[in-house]
Amino acid sequence: MLTTYTISVFTTNTIGLLNRITIIFTRRRLNIECLTVSETERKGVSRFTIVIRNENREIVEKLVRQIRKITDVLAVFGYLDDEIVFNEIALFKIATPLGSPALDVKTINLDWNAKVVHWGLDYVVVEKNGSEEEINEFYAYLKQWEILEYIKSGRVAVGKTEKGLVEYLPEGNWEIV
Amino acid sequence: MGKTQIEATQPTTTQSSNFKTGAQAVMQSLVEQGVSTIFGYPGGAIMPTYDALFDYRDQLKHILVRHEQGAGHAAQGYARMLNKAGVCLVTSGPGATNLITPIADAMLDSTPLVCIVGQVKANLLGTDAFQECDVIGMSMPITKWNYQIVDPNEIPEIIAKAFYIAETGRPGPVLIEITRSAQAEMMSIPFKYQKCESIISYKPRLEPKEEHVEAAAKLINGAKRPYILAGHGVLISQAENELKEFVEKTGIPVATTLLGMSAMDADHPLFVGWPGMHGNYGANVLTNSCDVLIAIGMRFDDRITGDLSTYAKQAKVVHIEVDPSEIDKNVKADAPVVGDAKAALKALLPLVKKADHTEWRAEFKKYDDEEYEKITKKDLYHEGNQIKMGEAVALLSDKTKGEAVVVTDVGQHQMITNRYYRFKKHNSIVTSGGAGTMGFALPASFGAKVAVPEREVIAVIGDGGFQMTLQELGTIAQSGLPVKIIILNNNFLGMVRQWQSMFFDNRYSFVELQNPDFITIAKGFGIEGHTVSDRNNLGESLDTLLNSKKPYLLEIICEKEENVFPMVPAGACVTKVMLE
Repeated sequence: MLTTYTISVFTTNTIGLLNRITIIFTRRRLNIECLTVSETERKGVSRFTIVIRNENREIVEKLVRQIRKITDVLAVFGYLDDEIVFNEIALFKIATPLGSPALDVKTINLDWNAKVVHWGLDYVVVEKNGSEEEINEFYAYLKQWEILEYIKSGRVAVGKTEKGLVEYLPEGNWEIV
Repeated sequence: MGKTQIEATQPTTTQSSNFKTGAQAVMQSLVEQGVSTIFGYPGGAIMPTYDALFDYRDQLKHILVRHEQGAGHAAQGYARMLNKAGVCLVTSGPGATNLITPIADAMLDSTPLVCIVGQVKANLLGTDAFQECDVIGMSMPITKWNYQIVDPNEIPEIIAKAFYIAETGRPGPVLIEITRSAQAEMMSIPFKYQKCESIISYKPRLEPKEEHVEAAAKLINGAKRPYILAGHGVLISQAENELKEFVEKTGIPVATTLLGMSAMDADHPLFVGWPGMHGNYGANVLTNSCDVLIAIGMRFDDRITGDLSTYAKQAKVVHIEVDPSEIDKNVKADAPVVGDAKAALKALLPLVKKADHTEWRAEFKKYDDEEYEKITKKDLYHEGNQIKMGEAVALLSDKTKGEAVVVTDVGQHQMITNRYYRFKKHNSIVTSGGAGTMGFALPASFGAKVAVPEREVIAVIGDGGFQMTLQELGTIAQSGLPVKIIILNNNFLGMVRQWQSMFFDNRYSFVELQNPDFITIAKGFGIEGHTVSDRNNLGESLDTLLNSKKPYLLEIICEKEENVFPMVPAGACVTKVMLE
């Protein structure tokens, strides 16, 4: 059975590190579902959130160890979905020319927990946060209108422990941003 | 490599000045790091550094190779002998790409290298400038760490870091690329070199965890049929004495991997040979009979394990390894011990019980006897005048008392050398194991000789591999160092021919060589040599080789279609050993 794994990689902020990490996946023919890179609350520490699906937990464990081996990597964690709080964000650009069915903003707001973030002349942009599943369901609902563009971010995730980032990092003077 | 534009002379400062050009900073950093030898080849994008080297030529011995690949392999041979980083200096583009093979080889065989390569000026990066290549991108998967310097101020810190990363933990190659502009520009801060002692994101664990050591000791103490596989990690951490003490106390038979050869005295009663594709009969078969398999500083390469699904399934596995990513990678460890082999053995020693395992050890003997009858005897004592590879190596072993440094290339002669050279001295094998790089031996033997000029260094090479890097005869001749070179010539790419014979229905597809006159070639480079083809003259010929005070090439014409046995076919179970 395919299981979703979220791999959080904490690194020093170094040029080329993204490449060093992704070639580990490429070499093992593992497909990255989505990838998000951002700075953390600690100066000089970047965070990669990588989602992969695999049937074999062992392969994922080996992958995590290979990533950990990279010299500029500070810490790596592989999570199952129930071990993290995670979310994605999607933007939908929907055509609203004269004569098209009216957008049901109330339903979008209340039932779907989404919102219109931009009103164009003949279109609107709707933003929806949630899990991939929720976003897919929302996509299906929006199909009754013409969807001009759809984009979804990679996953962002934090572990469901009480620990802060610093406790995962090697001992050091991690200045807060 | 190639031409370079002539430019106005860079402003130079004296060596003593605290403000240095990037190029001077490179030199001063190497000196302060304790580097004495550089293997290199100049070219356009590294010229400012070579210009600075001219002023440092008394402090840094630079060896001009004939091809950058030669620089890499020579640095590997050097590093393996001294257990410290070999240094290469080459230019950008093709200079750097020629280093790719040695870097990959060093990565697979855990050899510390610091490769300093030139790059086009910073303002030309990404423009497809002359001799510009994305060497950082190319070397990423085959380096332990790499870094591009565009600011000369970074040079001392990055070089210090490079040596630290290359030499500590599981050693490996590091590549530093320096733009021509960063070499030529003045540093804006005073030069200061400080050796690197730690990196926040890189913390190799050398001392094993106490609970891991205890768990391992418990398994070992409970074992009735324990078996040790000792690898390259033992040589790297210089744990040979600890290993000896450990096995003598516990009475555990020990095999060494191809790269771990010479970790044990070949005549030690507890030494049972080597495992793997062309390893010894008992050393392979009994892997699947032992109850506790103790792997020390090795990584369960597929050439050792064969079919993983049938490999040592009955055994509990103790895996002592400095690289945590090797634990459970190929073989599941019941008692993993992450740490340096020396530290782990030291920690284990007081916890393990004295034992003998006489009966269990006798099982190895039974297999040895059969192997001797079926293979060794035929290799060493046979009729006719033709020379077999095995007898040549066995005689070499006798004549050098097993005390030489033996450097092999890749193929049949490599397996035969490990089979018949009886290593008596620690850290005496240099071979390309993981990558299996043909052309490795000639430059690597030279590098080894540079590192340990007081030792006899002998390169054993096949006729195929020799032709891949034979231009390094020029380097050897220029140095005058008495490297002893043996070509075991069977006029074939022998190992491939063996496979074609055994597994491809005798269809010899492009394996026969029309060889040049190797002796004439050697003489062209100014190296003496001769050919021997009659076994009656073999001893005398080896004496000539060994007695030479200069580099010498001995070509031994061997039986053409000899196959190497024992053999575990690729991917087969380790008990499926073919003896003929």
